[in-house]
Amino acid sequence: MTTTELLVSAWDRGVLVPLLCLSALGAYGVKLRGRHDTRALFFLAAVVLFFLALASPIGVLARGILFSAHMLQHLILVLAVPPLVLLALPRTADEAPVRPMEPLGTTGAWLAGVGAMWIWHARILCNAAATIPWVQGFQTASLLVMGLAFWRPIVASRHADRLPPLAAMLYLFAACVACTVLGILVTLSPVQVCTAYAHPSDTLGALPLLRDGWGLTCKADQEIGGLLMWVPSCLVYAFAILAALGRYYAEGRPAAVTAGGRR
Amino acid sequence: MTVANPEVAALPPSSAGPAAAVHHDDDRTAFAWVATVDHKRIGILYLLTALFFFAIGGIEALLIRVQLARPNAHVLSPEAFNQIFTMHGTTMIFLVVMPTLVGFANYLVPLMIGARDMAFPRLNALGYWLFPFGGLLLHWSLLAGGAPSAGWFSYAPLSETPYSSTHGTDYWILAILVLGIGSVSGAINIIATVVTLRAPGLTIRRLPLFVWMTFVTAILIALALPVLNAALVMLLIDRRLDAHFFQANGGGSAILWQHLFWTFGHPEVYIMALPAFGMISEVIPVFSRKPIFGYEFVAGSTVAIALLSFGVWAHHMFAVGLGHRADLAFAIGSMMIAVPTGVKIFNWIATMWGGVIRFSTAMLFATAFLLEFVVGGLSGITFAAAPIDWQVTDTYYLVAHFHYVLFGGTAFAIFAATYYWFPKMSGRLLDERWGRAHFWLTVVGFNLTFFVQHFLGIMGMPRRVFTYPDLPGWGALNMASTVGAFIMAASVVVFVLNVALSLRRGEPAGDNPWNAWTLEWATTSPPSPHNFERVPPVRSRRPLWDLAHPGSRPEATPKNEAAPPDKSLVAVWSFIVSETTFFVVLILAYVFFNLSTKAAASALDLRTTGAFTACLLASSLTLHLAEKGLSRGKGASFRAWLGVTLLLGIVFMAGQAREYVGLFHAGVTVNSSLFASTFFTLTGFHGLHVTLGLVALGIMLRLAFGGDLDVRSSAALKAIGIYWHFVDVVWIFVFSVVYVRSFL
Repeated sequence: MTTTELLVSAWDRGVLVPLLCLSALGAYGVKLRGRHDTRALFFLAAVVLFFLALASPIGVLARGILFSAHMLQHLILVLAVPPLVLLALPRTADEAPVRPMEPLGTTGAWLAGVGAMWIWHARILCNAAATIPWVQGFQTASLLVMGLAFWRPIVASRHADRLPPLAAMLYLFAACVACTVLGILVTLSPVQVCTAYAHPSDTLGALPLLRDGWGLTCKADQEIGGLLMWVPSCLVYAFAILAALGRYYAEGRPAAVTAGGRR
Repeated sequence: MTVANPEVAALPPSSAGPAAAVHHDDDRTAFAWVATVDHKRIGILYLLTALFFFAIGGIEALLIRVQLARPNAHVLSPEAFNQIFTMHGTTMIFLVVMPTLVGFANYLVPLMIGARDMAFPRLNALGYWLFPFGGLLLHWSLLAGGAPSAGWFSYAPLSETPYSSTHGTDYWILAILVLGIGSVSGAINIIATVVTLRAPGLTIRRLPLFVWMTFVTAILIALALPVLNAALVMLLIDRRLDAHFFQANGGGSAILWQHLFWTFGHPEVYIMALPAFGMISEVIPVFSRKPIFGYEFVAGSTVAIALLSFGVWAHHMFAVGLGHRADLAFAIGSMMIAVPTGVKIFNWIATMWGGVIRFSTAMLFATAFLLEFVVGGLSGITFAAAPIDWQVTDTYYLVAHFHYVLFGGTAFAIFAATYYWFPKMSGRLLDERWGRAHFWLTVVGFNLTFFVQHFLGIMGMPRRVFTYPDLPGWGALNMASTVGAFIMAASVVVFVLNVALSLRRGEPAGDNPWNAWTLEWATTSPPSPHNFERVPPVRSRRPLWDLAHPGSRPEATPKNEAAPPDKSLVAVWSFIVSETTFFVVLILAYVFFNLSTKAAASALDLRTTGAFTACLLASSLTLHLAEKGLSRGKGASFRAWLGVTLLLGIVFMAGQAREYVGLFHAGVTVNSSLFASTFFTLTGFHGLHVTLGLVALGIMLRLAFGGDLDVRSSAALKAIGIYWHFVDVVWIFVFSVVYVRSFL
């Protein structure tokens, strides 16, 4: 098997994922009622990423063959799809009285986002998700839900539901640290995090290519997985932090300038 | 003693202010300086002490250069050379650059935000006095058998007892620990000051950039220094108690030291660079007569740098053999950090572009900073490419690179800042003619010393080796470098003379000699002890410009400006964040060494410790009930619950002691295995924190029974309570990782 063959053949042929994607797009279209809105692009991106994460070779390899593919899928489902979905929702007017987020709710949302990273990498759960289809389905759903809970205080469609920018920066930074710690552990750990990936049931016949052609030994595979969790995911948080800071400065601009040519 | 009451910082001083001023101005005795809690005097003490150590570190540099001036020289023995370059690096970083930047922050931050003092003046004094104490500890090693000689980063196993058998490294560890604790206390103070004591109208988005960058630096210090402290503690336990954290022959990992050191060490680079960026961001606009170009980008890129700085430490370890995958990830991260730094350079150039530039000595240094720092930054980017790093790491190319960053960057900015703010501190201008002589000697000497070292490094001359063979070109280039070093030394003499002479005979400065715009120029030079008679209204980023141009339309102050949080709460939360980093490192070290052993399960007793854990967790609940009692004014209920809390804490500590004794009897001591080393270190430090919490609670209880507890102390109790809950939460993690996990 060559790399091209792998990329062409290793697609999920089930109907569930495409069906989910199409119905999501349909539901969103109904909600928009034909109005043109650039937010739709966010939604499209979210659906495309969701599809790629589950049905493309990323999703297929994540099923017990390649730990790094699993990690990529994991990160897309927690860090990319949920914020894009939230950004795509139409802005609702801030009519309801401003009710600042309670500390308890914020802590819960934060724990959901960080827990999404940590819990599913406990060895038992990670192995189960890699090998048992219904567990994987449950994992996907839970990652999306926890991701939505985590990103809501940052990019909720209603401004009143968002954290103030400086608090949002702290919230994201703390999540970044928690994520980094896990990434470091996975990268440097001398033992296998998910033993399922050490002895894959290679239904695709891709293992010779991955191990010899790509040079992905078990250890290398786990290192890449850890580094993915460590570096790129932290960049997502870092960019979100900078966006929050940008929002903070934008709020402070005098109205005349904001209304004028600057933006 | 000065009167320091920051609560009334932003208000026009009451009648007590001028009275205190008179008292203060008369008080020029040495004791008044020793006992001071005035942020301005403490700032000046920092600067003078740092100048003293700068002279020592400079003399050490000259000794290095004398030894290296000619090939095969024997001015210094190899041992002496090792000690001197170690002391030079340690001195310059921990005793010169950091304290100088802290000194400027101390002097300027309260003035620039219109406050009367730092949030915690006494803590401020403590932070300062830890600094000379740390310096003394470091140099005490000279009397105790020899200075440390393992380099400023003390790589294990070289820094372990078999290879560094004198007490030098022990003193090095203690000194850096003391300095680290002082830095963290200073950082917490700066965070609390900036968060709670800003003048009305001075929102975060209007902060002068120097204050903003100092604030971000303080956060970096609070997060990065504890990592170093944890590593130092482990190294000390290795050296004094025969543990094996970093020694491979006992199962430890020398690479772990490098990881921990550079987790601190890379943010440290920005701890030394960001305040310098802030100084440049104040000097360039004033002498270009333009507001800074793209304030948001300068401020935002600072945050980006701070965030990225924690993710790139492994680029110091490309030569260690982390593997291509890790090298690649860190190379990308390291190159990314060049983007926000580059953005700043363009912002400064764009600020100068089309401005009415006045090349005073301060501006000369700021302009030279741009050039020198770009050289250092560019050579830094070459290091981000792992293959280039393998080629030139540990050569003089690296020495050239970081001196361009730390001297060409930070030191030039500090000189610019000195010429800029000296009039505010002393009331007199520094002499411009002497200043120019100082500037040109510095530029020539600095570039002569370090530019040639790029070539020496590419030719393969290794750093940290006491001499070199007579290869073609090496002798001449090294001689040039040594000549340059002596020119730099001359420039420092000129600078010190300029300061000394200008203090006596300098031209009086007036309040605002540079026509600057930030609040520190709105008061007298030097400022009175209470800083301001009246803080001008702040309606934009340039309050003094608004004052001089009443017709201009300043921005409206947002109406919903929230009241600042209580300063003790800000401080305790900052402290907790800092402590969390410390414990995360200890927990990670435990996990790292115990992932695949079952030592814990055979040595520990889950059930008994579980019972004592329940006591500790219950104490959080009882403390909450005590707080409730206090807030409702029920003294008896408060005292009772506080007493129960104290008792539960003591029971927990007794349980710990019982467990320790049992382990000792079973032959499990701190040096018996890596499990034991990590276990005792982690639980021991947690126990220390519980004990400190018990002491604090005990003081509160004593006050409660003495009837001295009023509304003001309820804020203190709240802060202690948060700390106590934090200690309990840490224990939940320790208990899960150490006890529960090993029995799963």
